[in-house]
Amino acid sequence: MEASEMSEDILMSLLDNLPGPFASPMLQPPAESAELAAILCGMIALYAVIRIIFEPDVMRKLPFLNVFSFSIAGIMALMIPHPLGVIAAAAYFIGSTFESNAIASTWAGGVEP
Amino acid sequence: MNILLLIIICIITLIGAVYAGYVRDPYAKLIGIGVIGGGVMPLIIARGYADVAAALAVIIPLSTVFVLQLCRKGEP
Repeated sequence: MEASEMSEDILMSLLDNLPGPFASPMLQPPAESAELAAILCGMIALYAVIRIIFEPDVMRKLPFLNVFSFSIAGIMALMIPHPLGVIAAAAYFIGSTFESNAIASTWAGGVEP
Repeated sequence: MNILLLIIICIITLIGAVYAGYVRDPYAKLIGIGVIGGGVMPLIIARGYADVAAALAVIIPLSTVFVLQLCRKGEP
């Protein structure tokens, strides 16, 4: 009983000393399932990056860039339990899809003059 | 925060940086820069700066589009 209170006090003081806007003890850490899902998304992102590197054709790199962006958006949404993180993940999702489509459109030649 | 996920993200960012440095095709170089931007984003989120990440998620694709116009103009 005493030891658990002691370790809790140490944890609280450690969280208070950390800088950053979300390092408060009021914020609960995410569940274990969320961490497992985030690690799985990270492995998908690593696989997509390896496929991007070893693909010889530029046009075939772009779907894997999309896969990478979607897994990064998943990691961002799962990492912190805060609404602003979800907003940032949605903004990154939209922006990265826009970026991939712009690269693909320019590579294909764009609109005919 | 899990340390394994952060190690994976750092490996992804390093791979993207080395690839963007060594590749010759300009479009592949832009793809490498996109990989760098995507790899940096969870590190910003992990520190807690979600507003900075939301601003960067808008700025990085816009800068890519501007560089893309320069790329297209250089083509014969």
